[in-house]
Amino acid sequence: MRKKLKFTLLDALILLAVAALAVYIGYRINVRLHYKWNWSAIPQYLFRIDNNGDWTANLLMQGLFTTIRLSLWATLLATIIGTVAGFFRISKSLFKRLLGRTFVELIRNTPPLVLIFIFYFFVSDQIMPVLGVDDFARNASERTQSVMTFLFAPPRFFSAFISAMVTVAIFEAAYITEIVRAGIQSIEKGQFEASYALGLSWRQKMQHVILPQAIQRILPPLAGQFISTIKDSAIVSVISIPELCFQGMELMAATYLTFECWITITVLYLILTLSLSLAVERLEIFMRRSTA
Amino acid sequence: MRIKSLLLSVDVLAVTTLFLIICFVSPALAGDVQNKLVAESTIEQVMKRGVLKVGMSTFVPWAMNDKNGQLVGFEIDVAKRLAADLGVKVEFVPTKWAGIIPALLTGKFDVIVGGMSVQPGRNQKVNFSIPYDYTGQTIVASKQLAAGFKTLEDFNKPEVTLSARLGSSSVAAAKQFMPKAKLTLFDDESQAYQEVINGKVHAMVGSAPTPAFQALKYPETLFLPIEGTFTKEPIAFAVKKGDYDTINYFNNWITVVAAEGWLKEIKHHWFETKDWESSIQ
Repeated sequence: MRKKLKFTLLDALILLAVAALAVYIGYRINVRLHYKWNWSAIPQYLFRIDNNGDWTANLLMQGLFTTIRLSLWATLLATIIGTVAGFFRISKSLFKRLLGRTFVELIRNTPPLVLIFIFYFFVSDQIMPVLGVDDFARNASERTQSVMTFLFAPPRFFSAFISAMVTVAIFEAAYITEIVRAGIQSIEKGQFEASYALGLSWRQKMQHVILPQAIQRILPPLAGQFISTIKDSAIVSVISIPELCFQGMELMAATYLTFECWITITVLYLILTLSLSLAVERLEIFMRRSTA
Repeated sequence: MRIKSLLLSVDVLAVTTLFLIICFVSPALAGDVQNKLVAESTIEQVMKRGVLKVGMSTFVPWAMNDKNGQLVGFEIDVAKRLAADLGVKVEFVPTKWAGIIPALLTGKFDVIVGGMSVQPGRNQKVNFSIPYDYTGQTIVASKQLAAGFKTLEDFNKPEVTLSARLGSSSVAAAKQFMPKAKLTLFDDESQAYQEVINGKVHAMVGSAPTPAFQALKYPETLFLPIEGTFTKEPIAFAVKKGDYDTINYFNNWITVVAAEGWLKEIKHHWFETKDWESSIQ
């Protein structure tokens, strides 16, 4: 039985208030700000026709792709770090527990912006030249370079991209650590005791009993964290990584189309994150069904 | 007593050794140091790498993205020619203006070619080449808030608010010429302009010629209270400190291209005509 939709007076008032607000903001922008809209300039910055007459991604879409690449790799790396640190958090060894806890608390209690600057200006300058990342990217064969460009970033941005990726990954890893720890600790105590009673080793216990159950609980929040990563990745614009937010701001500086650029950026982010949110919702339903 | 005399003899030994090292090793060391300095100079590294990494920031019409996603502008032309004359490829590193000096110092790029004006404060952190261009600050005001303002003195009042780009020389100019006015700073130029277009601040201080272009674009909200510029600022390349080989190369390069008349030519194209505007929007 479906409930009949009821539209009360309060609903109507709320709807009216929201609509009035939207109209007022539109009025302010159009009339009071004397803002000259120029939407026709925006599409060419999404896609353009190159010299061969083919459609290629321009500034904004390139930025979006960089955001996607950055978020994907950062989440992957963060999952690895987070899983290790998550096991540390529940380890029997006091030292490992302290290590895990310190990592999580240090990162979670620092503004990501501060973390980004510290990493970009101090850490990456000490580490990247030692590893020879920049030289490697520049001297790689053309084939390797095109693969690198497709998977990560063009050679000239490669080392900056890597340091941004690592920073975002470390930041997200602190949250993933907690997701992993909570996932494992949420498994009923009886499961641990049963595996102990069966004489399973730590590895067998984890592999055959605990993790298969824990992963089902970990996966949905992990997917949610991926969406968070996409949103958080916007802060790497401060270290001039050409992701969506940075490209949008560059475009704004060049064209002075402030409103059009921000609105386009918002829509692009929304398309990305909303579709992922829907996918995560599906995943949650699927997981609930498969456990039931 | 014995310990004291022992310490004394250690001291004497150390001083003697140091003296000997200075006497015999330093002439050989000086040659090494010179070779090392040459090898470590930015210009030498650039040649070895085959790529000149140029730090810049979007600033109309110095550097901006065109419709094809390519960087164009006065500085871009300068940097491209510089790299071509060096026989290397050029690579632009778009960087936020406020953090461009730290980025240079931490080696994100070799040189700033970004319309950076020479200022004593900046010069304490980086070395500048000789100027290759001059710019000046000008002011564009809101018709609504600053009606009747005709001189800089009119803006030099505590109730006046000005906007400018964070870390730009406009900030220094505003503080020098209008010390009593309040300043609101923005990361991007476009935001600073938007503020005056919106009528939230009395005026915006910016490098010529963009304020004049904005006044033309928004004739019903903006006007130019003073004619021309009120400062004259030398624009130069910035490199890391302690690298004289690079500065020497840049200085002579600038002298050569200025003598050719090439600098004047491209300056005319970007600053006195608007032929390029159709390629931007």
